[in-house]
Amino acid sequence: MIELTIDGRAFHVPPGVSVMDAARANGIDIPHLCYHPELSTPGGCRLCLVEVEGRADPVPSCQLPCAEGMAVRTQSEQLSAMRREIIDLFVSDHPLDCVICDKAGACLLQKYAYEYGVSETSYDKHIARSLYQDDNPFFVRDHQYCILCGRCVRVCEEVVGASAIEIVGRGFDSHVATPFDGPMIDSSCVFCGSCVQVCPTAALMPRSRLGQGREWDLERVETICGYCGVGCQIEYALRDGRILYAQSTPGAPVNGEFLCSKGRYGWDFATHPDRLARPLIRRDVAYRLGLTDEPWELPDESPLDTGEGVIEERFVPVDWDTALHVAADGLARTVQAHGPDAVMGLSSARCTNEENYLFQKFMRAGIGTNNLDHCARL
Amino acid sequence: MTNSIREIRDADCIFITGSNTAESHPVIGYEVVRAARRGANVIIVDPRRIPLVEHATLFLQIKPGSDIYVFLAIMHTIIREGWEDRPFIDRRTEGYDALAAVLEEYTPEHASLMSGVPVEQIEAAARIYALGKRVAGASIYADGASGTGERGHSTILYAMGITQRSNGTDMVMTLANLAMLCGQLGKPSTGVNPLRGQSNVQGACDVGCLVDVLPGYQRVTDAEKREAIARAWDVERLPGEVGLTIVEAMHAAAEGRVRAMYVMGENPMMSDPDTSHVERTLRGLDLLVVQDIFPSETAQLAHVILPAAASLEKDGTVTNTERRVQMIQPVIAAPGESRPDWQITGELAARFDARMGIERRPGYWDFASSSAIFDELARVTPIYRGMSYGRLAGAGLQWPCPDASHPGTPILHGETFSRGRGRFNPVIARDPAELPDDDYPLMLTTGRVLYHYHSGTMTRRSEPLDWREPGGAVEIHPDDAAAIDLRDGAPVVVASRRGRVRARAQISERVPPGTVFLAFHWREAPANMLTHDFALDPVAKIPEYKVCAVRLENPRAGLADRLRRSEGAAFRTSSR
Repeated sequence: MIELTIDGRAFHVPPGVSVMDAARANGIDIPHLCYHPELSTPGGCRLCLVEVEGRADPVPSCQLPCAEGMAVRTQSEQLSAMRREIIDLFVSDHPLDCVICDKAGACLLQKYAYEYGVSETSYDKHIARSLYQDDNPFFVRDHQYCILCGRCVRVCEEVVGASAIEIVGRGFDSHVATPFDGPMIDSSCVFCGSCVQVCPTAALMPRSRLGQGREWDLERVETICGYCGVGCQIEYALRDGRILYAQSTPGAPVNGEFLCSKGRYGWDFATHPDRLARPLIRRDVAYRLGLTDEPWELPDESPLDTGEGVIEERFVPVDWDTALHVAADGLARTVQAHGPDAVMGLSSARCTNEENYLFQKFMRAGIGTNNLDHCARL
Repeated sequence: MTNSIREIRDADCIFITGSNTAESHPVIGYEVVRAARRGANVIIVDPRRIPLVEHATLFLQIKPGSDIYVFLAIMHTIIREGWEDRPFIDRRTEGYDALAAVLEEYTPEHASLMSGVPVEQIEAAARIYALGKRVAGASIYADGASGTGERGHSTILYAMGITQRSNGTDMVMTLANLAMLCGQLGKPSTGVNPLRGQSNVQGACDVGCLVDVLPGYQRVTDAEKREAIARAWDVERLPGEVGLTIVEAMHAAAEGRVRAMYVMGENPMMSDPDTSHVERTLRGLDLLVVQDIFPSETAQLAHVILPAAASLEKDGTVTNTERRVQMIQPVIAAPGESRPDWQITGELAARFDARMGIERRPGYWDFASSSAIFDELARVTPIYRGMSYGRLAGAGLQWPCPDASHPGTPILHGETFSRGRGRFNPVIARDPAELPDDDYPLMLTTGRVLYHYHSGTMTRRSEPLDWREPGGAVEIHPDDAAAIDLRDGAPVVVASRRGRVRARAQISERVPPGTVFLAFHWREAPANMLTHDFALDPVAKIPEYKVCAVRLENPRAGLADRLRRSEGAAFRTSSR
């Protein structure tokens, strides 16, 4: 272990750890924009400069490995002045329309402008980038808010492995782009939204949340993704009971801050109008029970070929009592006439442990059969 | 998984087979990308040039079904070259000699003939995996430094490409043999790691939704365990014979032995092999009860549909592929009168009892909360016994977790195997049940695409996902397309002995010549019309989705061809 002091406090860290990471691990937040704990550290934004005893010039802490006996200062008059200057430069080409910005409250540039008291730039304001790319239903890239920190480019290359974007052009022309500035769908983008997750400003935003509410209007609920077996933790942001967008949190035990396109964007199925909202009984059964007047027979048309309205055409809505009665009665008749092994139960790998447990208990202790399977094999 | 997901990024070698990780388990794909960028070797054995191949150092492109020869040849090479882990074999395993004897005939030359993979690639894979070699960078494991002659840490990732086979159990045992042979087990970033495809497929197995095991993998045929659970459930006896698996039940129902089905959140019309047979069977049932969130293709045939809450609308626990039990929370309200599945099943069970005249104590079916169900579950499930909702908040716990102070188990088989010594189960190579012939000269393999999930009931109703991937396409190698004068994007008919499917052709070198790929998400082009159910794995009873024989037909071919083609089943065309 290496011993060093940061702001006068002594810490022991393993070799190879940067001053930035050592500080963060011990609750000391060094200002940063391009640094992200899961990504490589280009040291480009210069906001994380710190003073090291014995060195004339400040050093970017994200690139500075801890060394034995090192004494680091993260706050000083000189550092504050430098950081103020850097933020001044950033806001010289970044709109300060925080009053109407969806990211306000979660924007890192806004946070540091507040902390260092930069209310407007001292330079001539010139917003170089004006491209607004909303060529897909997943996210919007609004280049005027981009500070060219490169987090999106790095996450796409280093974590996702898609390398769909890079920073092109020079000076005021530089911007994040797909090959030939083409639409996202023509690039190697996999629409996982990891770039949106790590963007420190409003340059990349989930399309579904635009204009829907500000950080402090949102309620947040953490749960586990319902798709594959990785078990990613997802944080949903809601307003008035409606999901506005999904993201992840650094503390998520399996996935950290990363999700895939299904997890981050595939939640809107839940409110699709096709959702079953009432118990239903097929028309021929309903007729036998005297719930409808017209006799009916299940048509030969395969469910693979049916169109809209098939449920209304084939089923009658009933109350829970009736539906459960028909189901329980049918199961009981089968068991009485043909024995418990004439019943098969298929449970679901998308249901909870509790539900699957109860299901198999019903099949075994209730019906009395081990004819019980789920989609593990499929 | 024997090991945990986050260990993958630190592996020195990652051996991926039968898993399109970046599309089916993208977040695990990210782990592989990270490891590769740090200098790990990534070896991929797969018929398709899957996206992760871009990050691989070695891609063994096999003919579907020939991977078993490659695995056996890799082990043959390891033994021939002395790369096996002798101390591990001596200390932890038994049956090595029998394994070595069987492996003798499986030379890389033979495997190369069977699989189309060059001998040098097989031998390189053997060396890299066995010794845990890196391409670059230093291993984080003290015993694994590259170039020092020490053994790095190698991990095996696999999925349904291995198990959905008529010899799936053999395939899994082969991978286990490989890991034991090289001592690549019981340590971080090693192991034999099945990537499971659904949010709670692990948990559904753990809690006993299988034909042969009670909660916690206690066998139904073990009288002592069965009676213990019967006592916990206050019943005189529990059925002691192994039941029918899903595909067996479809056959039994066709013969009238199964008369009623209760289906919770599953869509066999899309996900079971040989769809035409499934549909006939479901139509013939006396009673089909479907409990679901959408009017799935299966629900449309039901007598009774019970509307359920989705996972976003309820609480409970799910268990991921690394055995981590985590809590889910209700995020939004369930629509209309729909209810959580546990409430529906509990009510149905109570009514069934009443109808049968069975009396139970209060609280037997009518649990106050999912937490109360979990407490009962934990009592009868030894691997979950130490868990409770109080302990699961936050990061959850990985089973086995036998008591309330146990921290959970991120890595299995650390000191010993559950049976003591790990036994090598020698396996001989067997070919898929249905191989190409003159009538059906190509091989079809099925799977998923990145933007869709299983039978598509959820993802195809998601606006952004549907925008990105609105419909299915059959991947066809340019050579096979040229043979029937097929253009990219044109309609093509894929025919097998079971049925015919019409889909869009995607001409692509992702598949090798002679192999076509079709995902099974598409209702308008259902891949399982083509697959067969006659060659289940003898142990796991899993159908061979990954290999069946098909032929391609160009519906825009001339009149003479069209007339000849009009024999046989009707086309499946889009109805959307």
